[in-house]
Order: sequence, then C-alpha cells, then structure tokens
Amino acid sequence: MAPAPAAAASYGALLDAVRGVHWPARRAVSSVLPGAHHSTLRGTSAEFTEYRLYRQGDDPRRVDWRLLARSDRAYIRLANDRAVLPTTIVLDTSASMAFPVTTRDKWRLAQELTIGLAAVAHADGDPVGVALHDASGKTAILPPRTRRDVVAEIARVVLAGEPGGSDPLTPVLRALRSARLVLVSDLLGDEEESLRAVRAHIVSGGEAHVAHVIAREELDPPRRTLLAADPEQGFVQRMLVEATRREYEERFASWRADVARRWRAAGVSYTEVITDEPAPRAVRRIAAAGER
Amino acid sequence: MTWLLPSALAIAAVTCIALIAAHFIARDRPVAEPLPTARFVPDRRIHARTTSIALSDLLLLALRIAAVAAIGLGIAGPIVAGARGRIARIVLVDRSRSVLSLADARDILRAAGAADVVIAFDSAARTLDAGARAIDSLDKTGATGSLSAALAAASAAATSLASGADSIELALVSPVSTEELDAATPAIRAAWPGRIRLMRLRPKTASVVSPSALELPREPNDPVVAGLSLLPRELGASVRVVRGRLTAADSVWGREAGHVLVHWPAADSATDWPARPNLDAIGGVTSATGAIVARLPRLWSVSGRAIARWADGEPAAVERTLGAGCIRDVAVVVDPASDVTLRAPFRGFSRALLAPCGGARAFAPADSATLRALAGVGPLAAARNFRGAADQTSRFTPWLLALGAALLLVELALRRSSRTLG
Repeated sequence: MAPAPAAAASYGALLDAVRGVHWPARRAVSSVLPGAHHSTLRGTSAEFTEYRLYRQGDDPRRVDWRLLARSDRAYIRLANDRAVLPTTIVLDTSASMAFPVTTRDKWRLAQELTIGLAAVAHADGDPVGVALHDASGKTAILPPRTRRDVVAEIARVVLAGEPGGSDPLTPVLRALRSARLVLVSDLLGDEEESLRAVRAHIVSGGEAHVAHVIAREELDPPRRTLLAADPEQGFVQRMLVEATRREYEERFASWRADVARRWRAAGVSYTEVITDEPAPRAVRRIAAAGER
Repeated sequence: MTWLLPSALAIAAVTCIALIAAHFIARDRPVAEPLPTARFVPDRRIHARTTSIALSDLLLLALRIAAVAAIGLGIAGPIVAGARGRIARIVLVDRSRSVLSLADARDILRAAGAADVVIAFDSAARTLDAGARAIDSLDKTGATGSLSAALAAASAAATSLASGADSIELALVSPVSTEELDAATPAIRAAWPGRIRLMRLRPKTASVVSPSALELPREPNDPVVAGLSLLPRELGASVRVVRGRLTAADSVWGREAGHVLVHWPAADSATDWPARPNLDAIGGVTSATGAIVARLPRLWSVSGRAIARWADGEPAAVERTLGAGCIRDVAVVVDPASDVTLRAPFRGFSRALLAPCGGARAFAPADSATLRALAGVGPLAAARNFRGAADQTSRFTPWLLALGAALLLVELALRRSSRTLG
C-alpha cells in the first residue's frame, strides 16, 4: 500500500536529502544473497582476492589452470563475495516519545530517522523492514523486504503509529532475526533489558545501531517552577525549580554518558540525536557511525 | 443607623479588597507537566508555588469576605436608633442671685413642655427630677451663677441621654448676666455640638441692690482705717469694718441681707482665731482686685471661702455666711508705722474685701455678641457626639462576631476538605 500523498510529499525532501548515502555493514555479513556488503563467504565473483592450494573437496572448476601449468601446483582462485544485510528498524512508540506535548518533536524526529534509514538501507539493496506498536497497541512488524515500494510501505506504517503507553521494547527486539537491528528510541523505558537483547543479537552475529533521540527541552527544561511528571510512570512527580535544576542536568548528562558507554561497550553503534538537529544530517551520522 | 466605630467599616472594606486581590494572585501548587526525564529531577520535598491571575476559589473567597464583613460590622457596632428622630431636651435653670424672680423661670418651663432633664444651677449645677413638683420646689440662692458649671452638667446629662435620642436640645433659662460668664465659658460652650435655645429671665437691676455704706472705726491713727477711708463709696453693699473684738451687735448687724461685716483685727488681742504654728512674715498678699507687696506678718490661720491669699497660697482673708449677710475675717496685720495702706495697691486689694457677699456683683446682661456666641447657630446637637466608645455598646456586635467566627470555622473546614481532595 502506498503512503498517503501528503505523507509521501512531506518525506520527499528527506528522501532526496539522503539519496547517495551508503550504510555499509560494520563487519562482513554471512548472507548468501548477493548484495553490497562484504560477505564472510569466498566465492567465484570477479573481485579476485587470493590464491589457495587446492584441497580435497574443492570445486575443480575453481582451479587456476594457467598457474598449474606454470608452477605444476594446483591453486584455486578465491574472491570476496558480496551479500545483502537484512535490516529491521525498531521504532519506540512509548509515551515518552510524544514530547514536547505541543510539538512532539521527539516522535517527529524518530519517524524521520526511521524512514530516512530505511531509504538508505533500501538504496544499498538491503532488505529493510520496521517494527513498532501500531495505533491499536499491537506490535506491527514489517519484515525486511527489497521490493521497490518498501520504503513507502514503511512510511505508511510509521505515520500510522501513535506514541503512547509504556510497553517494553525487549520482546520486539528478541523476536527479530534481522542481521542489522536499528533501535530508534529515547531509551527511557526498559533500557537495561533492551541492551541485553541487543547484546545477544550481536553475539549471534548480527550488528546493532541505536539512535538515542533526546528532546532539546529535556536537556534544557523551561526555566520556571515545573512539576515534572513522567508520562510513563504517572506516580513520579517531582518539583523542578532553579535550586534543583543544576543537579537534574548533571544527573541527566551522567546517565546519557553511561548509556553511551555501555551500549558502545556492547558493540552497538550508538548515536545521540537531539531534536533540533535536521533529520538528514542525523541519518548521515548514524550511517557513518557504522563504518569501521 | 449609626456606628460606634465607623473606621472599622473602612478597615473591613480594605481587607475585603485585599482578599479579592489575594485570590487574583493566588499562589498554588503548579500543575503537573509531562517531562520524560522527570526521574532525573532530585526527589526533594519542595513547596513550590506558582502565581495565577485568575480569580480562584470563589466559595472560599465568598466565605472569607462574609467573615471579614461580619467581624467588621460587629466591631463597627451598628446602632439602630430605637427612637429615630427623637429629640431629648435638657433645660438649664438659673437660680443664682442674678435672677430677679424664679417665677418667670417656672412659667417658661411650664410653657416649654416636658423636659428630659432639668438642671438648676448657681455656682454649681444639680440635676432635678423632671416634673412639675421639682420645678415648683426650685429655690433661688444667693450664690453667683456659673454658666460654665451649667454647660458642663448639660454635657454630662447629654451623654446619658444620647443612646435614646437622635438629637439633644439644650435650653438655657437664665438672665445671662456678666458675672455668670468666666474665662472657661466660651471653651465649654464650644464643646456643645449644637445650638442652644436661650430663654432670658429678668436680671436683678441696680435698683434692687442694697445701698452702699461703709462704717469704719473712729480711729484716725489706724492705718487700715486711713487706707479704707480713701476708697470710693460705691461698694454695692453695706460694709462695717471692725478692728477690735466683734460684739453681739456687730453679729446681729451682719446677719442682715446686703450687710458685710469685715472683721480685720488690729492686734492679736482683738480675736480668738487660732494662731499659726509658726509665726512668720511673707512678702505679699493678693485678692481678686489687687495685691500688696510688703513685709507682712502672719499670725493666724483662717478658714472659709478664701477671698485673699498670701503669696504662698494660704488664705489671708475668708468669707463666711452669716444669716442673710456674711462676715469676712481678714488676717492681714499692717505695721502702724508703714504707709502701705495709703498707697493705691492697698485700695485695689481692699476692694475685694469690701465687696458684697459672694463677691462683686455684675448683674448687667451680657452683650449681644456674647449672647449670639452662646446661642450658636445650626442644628441641634447630634446625640452621636455624646456616645462614647467606652460606654456605648451595640446589641448586634456579639451576634455579628459570632457569625464571623462561624464563617471562619466553615472556611477552615472547606479549606481542609479541599486540601484533602486535592
């Protein structure tokens, strides 16, 4: 299903801005399907890599007969294969993403990042899909696909999403089997469990990216007396006044630094994105952060 | 309706305005706003308040205003006049020696109708029982009249009448002779907050005053006799000066009306007055009409109405009533060798000693300007001017204060319940 014309038009500029951006895999992929990323498999492609002595069981068709004639030794030609990297983007739809209440900048930026990253992955020929809670509260998973209109379909699903509730991301992350997992979230929910799930994904051979979406208003709350209420935990209500503002900022900065350190230590490509940063630039940073 | 303390109304009004303003700028706990990172805000007990410019808590405001108004009204002390428009009447009746006949006063009082308070006065004022019998029993006295005393008594009577009337009418039945006015009279009159109705009586005239005569001892070498002989003869009374011991004939003579018997002993042997504990001399003596500055010995202590005093205030000459006349004891001893009695100050000093009983008479009616000032202009005296805060109470005050207290209790309960709900 194609996205609504208005939605397509609104993301047209974003898709234009990320055109030409490549999102290479962080390591060789083990996929057998030919693609743009280095594969862990050595095959018969035209991109020669090295020679290796023939061993029993090798395909005789890969023996370099000219070299055999010159050296009287049997070598086979090795070449790096190229493979696709199935990518699934997990979009956090918890209530904390609908912030600030009036502009919902976090949710808007998360939508743009999801669509932009999907477009970049699709442009590299990778299958791309998305997972999020739909408007009815159920988890909507669009499996990675390579067909032409997959970006439009992802945009439709993302646009239909509505932030709310406090459902954990961990079950979604554990259910996904894509080689590349991208989490677009503010990490204010089940961050510890999500990290464990992603770490398991990396250990199993996959790669993971996280786009940590932070609102400017979270970094610099309004300078007035504010009774701050956690939208996901209504019982948490604390008075933010000038006297406690500095400590709040220090705590938040410390938490962000700790999150970045732990996620990076787990092998995740971690990128912090502030809501006042243009989405195309953020997409480029996320894609570039994956390069080694 | 009048108020015991009207300023309390103004204070209550200002308080109500302040209350409304306070509700307009009411500070309240801020409304919770979503902040996903609220968990990083230090969890401390902070009683922060925010201001708003909207009128809030209307029920509480209404209760508070009602309580303040009730308390303010209670303190202000509303007095609803039970006799709205009622005029209390005070009548001052002169019975002093200035009055020719009290029959005129009785006629005027009967014609004027009932009075709430009738005050008869001469040198002092006395409240009579209101009624015809009291008026009929009114007697004339020989004392000097004092309008100051009468007006002061009227003010006191007005204070007791003020709670039952709106206005107080003061009527003065008097000839208003000159001798009835003194230095305090204008000030006391000015303190009466309204006009005074004057009803003039016929004053005594010069024709009815006793003929003047001065009898002096036939002792030409007596310095006092010599000095007194130089006085003019218009004394207003028949005066006999005795320098020796008083005889029975002298006492009989002195008992007659218009007679003044002056006992001025020339020596200690001429009297039985008690001697002073310490005999001394003083530098002067004064009377209402003059003073002598000389070294004068003080031999005796005299008692009675003082008409002359030594320089230290001790009576030097006194007057005592004797029948219809009076006797004056003069304890001033003059050195026979001195010429002080021949000087003008002695004559001035002695004039008061030879004046008619009760002092010099001045029965001439007061001038028209004085009478106009005494009568005054404008409305009758308002009764509220006589209601003192100390002795006035409002029967509404306890109820209004109780209502205010009850409203405050309701406000307290409402505030607590709303806090509990909030």
